[in-house]
Amino acid sequence: MKRPLALACLACLVFANDGTRADRTTAAKTLADYRYFRALSIDLVGRPPLVDELAAYEQPDFVLDRWLDKQLASPEYAERITRVYLDLLRLEVPQSVLFHTASTDLQATHVLDPNGRDVTLYFRQAQRRRNAAIDGQVCFTEDESGLKVPHDAAAIGSPKPIPKALWDARTVLVKPWWLYADYRAKDPQDRASPDWVQRFGGFELMQELFVERDKTPMTAVRVCREEAQTAEQGKVFVTGRTNVKGPVPAGRLTRPPSDSRFAIANSGKLVSCITDNGVKSSAECGCGIGLERCLPSGPPGFMMPTEAPLGVREPFQKTARPAHLWMRTWWTEEASHFMARIFEDDRDVRELLTSRATTVNGPLALFYRTMSNSRCCGDVADLFGYTTPEPLFDPAAVPANVVVQDTTTWVTIADRGPHAAGLMTMPIFLLKYGTRRQRAHAVYSTFLCKDFVANNVKLQPSQEPDLTKRPGCATCHTRLEPLAAYFTRIPEGNWTYLPPALFPISLDRCKQDPKNMHSGCKIYYDPAFTSTSHTVLRGAHASPHNADAGPQGLATEITSSPEFAPCVVKNVAESLLGRPLTAEDGAWQTAMAKTFVDGGFRMRALVRAIVTAPAYRDVNDQRSGR
Amino acid sequence: MIRRAVLLVVAVACGRPETIEPSRAVPFGGYSELALDPTPKGHRRMVPPEVYLRAYLTWFGGLSPAQVFQKARGRKLFDQWADYLVALGLPDYAIDAPRAAQSNTVMLAAMGRLGEALCVRSVEHDLRGRPDKRAVFAFEPIANPSRDEFASRFDTLHRTFLSYPARLAPADRVDRFYALYRSVAARHASGLLSADESGWAAVCAALVQHPETGLY
Repeated sequence: MKRPLALACLACLVFANDGTRADRTTAAKTLADYRYFRALSIDLVGRPPLVDELAAYEQPDFVLDRWLDKQLASPEYAERITRVYLDLLRLEVPQSVLFHTASTDLQATHVLDPNGRDVTLYFRQAQRRRNAAIDGQVCFTEDESGLKVPHDAAAIGSPKPIPKALWDARTVLVKPWWLYADYRAKDPQDRASPDWVQRFGGFELMQELFVERDKTPMTAVRVCREEAQTAEQGKVFVTGRTNVKGPVPAGRLTRPPSDSRFAIANSGKLVSCITDNGVKSSAECGCGIGLERCLPSGPPGFMMPTEAPLGVREPFQKTARPAHLWMRTWWTEEASHFMARIFEDDRDVRELLTSRATTVNGPLALFYRTMSNSRCCGDVADLFGYTTPEPLFDPAAVPANVVVQDTTTWVTIADRGPHAAGLMTMPIFLLKYGTRRQRAHAVYSTFLCKDFVANNVKLQPSQEPDLTKRPGCATCHTRLEPLAAYFTRIPEGNWTYLPPALFPISLDRCKQDPKNMHSGCKIYYDPAFTSTSHTVLRGAHASPHNADAGPQGLATEITSSPEFAPCVVKNVAESLLGRPLTAEDGAWQTAMAKTFVDGGFRMRALVRAIVTAPAYRDVNDQRSGR
Repeated sequence: MIRRAVLLVVAVACGRPETIEPSRAVPFGGYSELALDPTPKGHRRMVPPEVYLRAYLTWFGGLSPAQVFQKARGRKLFDQWADYLVALGLPDYAIDAPRAAQSNTVMLAAMGRLGEALCVRSVEHDLRGRPDKRAVFAFEPIANPSRDEFASRFDTLHRTFLSYPARLAPADRVDRFYALYRSVAARHASGLLSADESGWAAVCAALVQHPETGLY
């Protein structure tokens, strides 16, 4: 698309100033007028004009300014500008990236009940149970059910009816969140039915999830008793098993869980059941009321849009998938709705990076209330005293009245919590860009329109661990490493927050010989920058200050940069013009940036200025064949 | 001789000077103000696939994608949405595939196929149905229209797909499309569609696939 200057000059057309502009409504419309109106309609309405809209355009009383005002306040306009940033950030993750955690995965298997009936039984593979024979697996032994149940696979063996006393003792019926809209009520009655598709605008279950195999209505699901517990906290228990080795006990597919360092250190103490630690160390932690802390990983009964170029409300193709994939869909939608809200309400564009607000629907409300902390805090977290998550999204900020099945009502949450920073602290961003450097690069290139390019640099062998100093690497990493440091406190591939009080930039007890460094220290502190006298939190070496400033610090740095406004202009203008801005556009880009800044960083004024500028109206080479 | 020559020089030099009448100022003809357009130019942009799809659903009477699929399929006119979507150049964020910036033969073939499905189904729906429910052929059909009768109806289709009246198109456009209409109608006098229906379906399909429909 780039053209030499001479060619571009040749392409400049000379128009007679004969009053053919579209806003000259009293004159007969020319072909250029119609094409301009069509372009506006495509960009601001999302489709070419309809015949009656063309007829209105042809009327003498048509006022383009008024029409623009209307379109620039419409959801279609917001969707168009959102698409600019979605194209840049590409906030979706491939199928291989799964939201699978030990605490949220509720596996479905089939067993025979005391009457010999084939029943779906839900359980967690990581569930702790007091009975050593079934601790950390399904709640029946092979002797009792005739089956061994592998992780995420069909049961192995010949099923046999489970004795009634055992059945009653080990399992319970629960009315789960996916089957009852009022699952938190004392006696839930609002059961899933085909009309939920209309009522909740897209919450659609396959029959397997609300009809029994014998075609009778499913009124509850059978769950192992420990999983059905609803306590918020559970007592840590120890079994005396440490470092279990040797052959797998008969009837099991795995060895029973060993006591973790955390369990040994905290035996008898209460632990939060919404954390990974709680599930792995307490037999009193279940899936909560209506199993709301868990996602059924089977059967694949959650209908979700798999082709939705016009948005999930207008799917072109739907497929039944397990709940964890369904939930992932909403992470992308959160980012999309968050951006659309900023553009539709004409809020300050800097909020894309700085805002502590967000927008959630039913599934996201469920996720943030009960599941988002399930990745906290890991077996070694107790080494640092980190057992209660400090979340990026405070679960208490989620309104209680959001119906989890309601996928179409989006509720704005004004404050996610003190660590929130626009798109940068959303799960989809943190998963899409899993590493600190990826995250920094995505923000740097999208919002400053700059990239890391090393021209003619020769890389030389080096032992220097600091890439800001290593010859060759330093060309880019001098800038990249301090930016990446802003994400120090959000571990890679995760979205929990490492509080400074528990994870200082340098921790005395992790100052060790890097070759013999404690495994717990190694997870959080970088062996490459550790010695007996020094250590540093992973990612912080280039800028401890930025590490403590966090994503909010990055938001401040980026949005206060003089390159931020011209970059917004560049991204939006290039998308609307359909061509890259060149040096010839420099003065115009500067003027647009001034309009944008003077207008309080609002997108509406900028887009209006762009689409009414000659650069947009006369963007096409009108010569024949172009 | 010399004396005569001297007298001539003196006479010329001392004679009454010749006077030239000043002419009246006349303004230059043909003057008008011209404005130089210095903005960089580019080729026309491709209509984004999302816009194309939105327009397509609108032309189908504002149906949902699932309803369009139900209505369009049959007689192998329409396969599955997924078959077309991948060809239209949509981005795939999950695998970092950007949106297509240029057309290609597969994309044009997909648009052609979608266009044919739309036009055939619209003929069946609009030309045989209630006048107030017509979405694409929003005019009163007549059998074997004359050139002028064709032109006024063609204008409706031209506005629908190309967003401007046919009178502003190149001068031969109406005649070329009228020739297409007559040619197709003559060759498809029998079949699932009548001769006139076949003619209108062909005109519609040609407009949907017209370069101006996919560019802006």
